[in-house]
Amino acid sequence: MTISEEVPELHFAGGLPGFPDVRRFVLVQLGDETSPFSVLRSLDDGVDLEFVVTHPGLFFPDYEPEIDDDTAARLELKSADDALLLVIVTVGDPVASSTANLLGPIVVNRHTRAAAQAVLGNSGYATREALVHS
Amino acid sequence: MLVLTRRANQSIMIGADVVVTVLEVRGDQVRIGIDAPRSISVHREEVFRELEAANRAAASPGSGALEDLAALRPPPRR
Repeated sequence: MTISEEVPELHFAGGLPGFPDVRRFVLVQLGDETSPFSVLRSLDDGVDLEFVVTHPGLFFPDYEPEIDDDTAARLELKSADDALLLVIVTVGDPVASSTANLLGPIVVNRHTRAAAQAVLGNSGYATREALVHS
Repeated sequence: MLVLTRRANQSIMIGADVVVTVLEVRGDQVRIGIDAPRSISVHREEVFRELEAANRAAASPGSGALEDLAALRPPPRR
């Protein structure tokens, strides 16, 4: 099952850093179902905004961010299984130079579809980690 | 900017819910404790600004780039 089938619509109660007023997003598969990417597109009126996201585990198998208690509480996450983790991709030119933001993963409650961008201060993760290592 | 002088273990209230306490002053470093409702997120400014910049850079890539990206696959697992 693709992520867009699992959580079609997400609600960011607190917006995202840089876009504090944007709340509702829909996840749309990018390309065919074998593509690891989805597009996170705003549903808010008058907002033309989208991000590319992916499952971090596909490109960064060792990525194990620790989600802070406040984010977990705000999203009402009771166990790690409740959470779906996505990372925002900055699309490069050429696309092989694209990067992922591991400092600020998107955390989603699979059951309620509440979402937030976590801020992993002091984690050592960067906002621009290369997706593909040459 | 409002400027207040505080000593260790003294606090500042922001509104009725947010309490900022100076815990320790040592050399050029100050340890600060913040009590705030869960609805208010608290971050180091430089980290938050970095995320803002990263989100703006990632926002709304062109459709041509998206077409190319759709063909990109993760490296095979070793």
